Amino acid sequence: MTRTIGDAAWADGRAESTRTREPSPGGTGGGLGGAIAAEWTKLWSVRSTWWSLLAGVVLMAATSLQLALYVANSNTNTDPTDDRGVVAVGQTAIGALELAEFAIVALAMLMITSEYSAGTMRATLQWVPRRGRMLLAKVAVVVPVTFVLGTALGILGALVAKPVQGRWGSVPLPGTAGDALAIGGYLALIAVFTLGLGAALRSAVATLITVFMIIEVVPTLFNVSHIAAVKRLADLMPAEAGQHFMLGDHSPYPAGVGLLLLAGWAVAALIAGYAVLRRRDA
Amino acid sequence: MITLRGLTKRYGAATAVDNLTFDISPGIVTGFLGPNGAGKSTTMRMILGLDRPTSGSVLVGGRQYAALRHPLREIGALLDAKAVHPGRTARNHLLAMARSNGIDRERVDEVLATVGLTEVAGRRAGGFSLGMGQRLGIAGALLGDPPVLMFDEPVNGLDPDGVRWVRQLMRSLAEEGRTVFVSSHLMSEMQLTADHLVVIGRGRLIADAPIEEVIAASSLTAVRVRSPEPSGLAALRERLAARGAGVESRDDELIVTGATVEEVGDLAHGLGLRLHELCTREASLEQAYMELTAGSIEFAAGGRNEEAA
Repeated sequence: MTRTIGDAAWADGRAESTRTREPSPGGTGGGLGGAIAAEWTKLWSVRSTWWSLLAGVVLMAATSLQLALYVANSNTNTDPTDDRGVVAVGQTAIGALELAEFAIVALAMLMITSEYSAGTMRATLQWVPRRGRMLLAKVAVVVPVTFVLGTALGILGALVAKPVQGRWGSVPLPGTAGDALAIGGYLALIAVFTLGLGAALRSAVATLITVFMIIEVVPTLFNVSHIAAVKRLADLMPAEAGQHFMLGDHSPYPAGVGLLLLAGWAVAALIAGYAVLRRRDA
Repeated sequence: MITLRGLTKRYGAATAVDNLTFDISPGIVTGFLGPNGAGKSTTMRMILGLDRPTSGSVLVGGRQYAALRHPLREIGALLDAKAVHPGRTARNHLLAMARSNGIDRERVDEVLATVGLTEVAGRRAGGFSLGMGQRLGIAGALLGDPPVLMFDEPVNGLDPDGVRWVRQLMRSLAEEGRTVFVSSHLMSEMQLTADHLVVIGRGRLIADAPIEEVIAASSLTAVRVRSPEPSGLAALRERLAARGAGVESRDDELIVTGATVEEVGDLAHGLGLRLHELCTREASLEQAYMELTAGSIEFAAGGRNEEAA
């Protein structure tokens, strides 16, 4: 029985753990691979990750449903023979991201800010002392997770939207698949952006407020401005760049530029986070 | 082996750790003592590369902590038992830790059994008592089977059984030739556990010596001589004073500081003095420690808060 082994070892002070063993060969395990494996284990062993996933699913389904209802109900085009007013369901899912993306922001944010709020950053850096490697390991975990999750959310949004939009919803197969993959890519980059900001700011509240300001409030403020130059600035913000990338609207710039802009924001945030990790004591 | 050379940490104008130079040797338990705010925790954090020294260096096994590929296999440390995510189970915490350093999975169950947490391994660490958290921290320190171990207040929150277990664990780790560095405020516990002491106060090194030397150096460590011959005692007293020893006399006895029991015995023999008692009265570690650190208490009780740095 494990119980007796543990208790006996505790009670009689026999340091069972300390049997001298052959020194492990220096090259195995650890390093970046080990750091990634540890981050993977950490991510899936806390409930907040699962709550974030659930929140993403609920927000995507609910918002897609609502947007699909708008599309179906507000349509004034009474001529059924043309396709004006028909919205691809993938585009509906992209629209729903405005709310659903915050579930992914929460997931990415908690990967780093919970380390500070729970005081585990000192443990993490004891395991993986190189700051860059530690941050890179988190990126290496959050990118595939949020890409797959985001793609799945895109498909979910389209599936919810289709029956509601009815004849006002089109499902071009390659287009919808492309939309879903673009949502995955967008959310993965937003997650990296959040992770970098979290490393730089260390606090969940500060990170959440900053992300919300940058992806929601500031572009909205820029857009209501009467000055054209300020409106153009809004298009440089990460969420707007992401929208242009996902919608592929070629205006004011092609989808590829949107993707590059968004990636630029993500990399900039990561560099800021890395700089803070390097400079400040843990 | 841990090597500190001129290790210094400043926060603005305040100096937390001031030019510490000492070695922590393998095969013995080295106790790390000092009043609150003396810089013990800061020193330990610098050893683990968590805080960056303002100047000086600290090496673990000859290398900087950040340069270790498998740090957990080189040095195991318990700094803060609360440094576990409250929502993660004990086993998952250790599993993530093991994966980060390429340590076998079975090792997780081994250390859980060693510290007696097998039954609660699947429970979330947030619900752990202080003692259980402490044991989980010790399990983490042992996980990589490292040659160097460092514990900050390891018996904090443990019951008497646990305290005894930790003491025996420290002793056996040192006997296996490992380097064991442990801080504690419990002097009686240190006296039982440590072979060597490093004492710091206000960030500076006060003592770095075997525990017997620290105790012997205390003014409260004294030789007691009892004799029925008052005139002989008076003569002995003069001889001792002439050698620079401190002597205090009461009734039929002398309390001698600054001289060994051998020296006092030889002098008495030279005087032909009849003795009824000749013995060493040892200071406790607590007394020796109090004397050593009297000048460097940062937050003294009773309003004597001199020099609030």
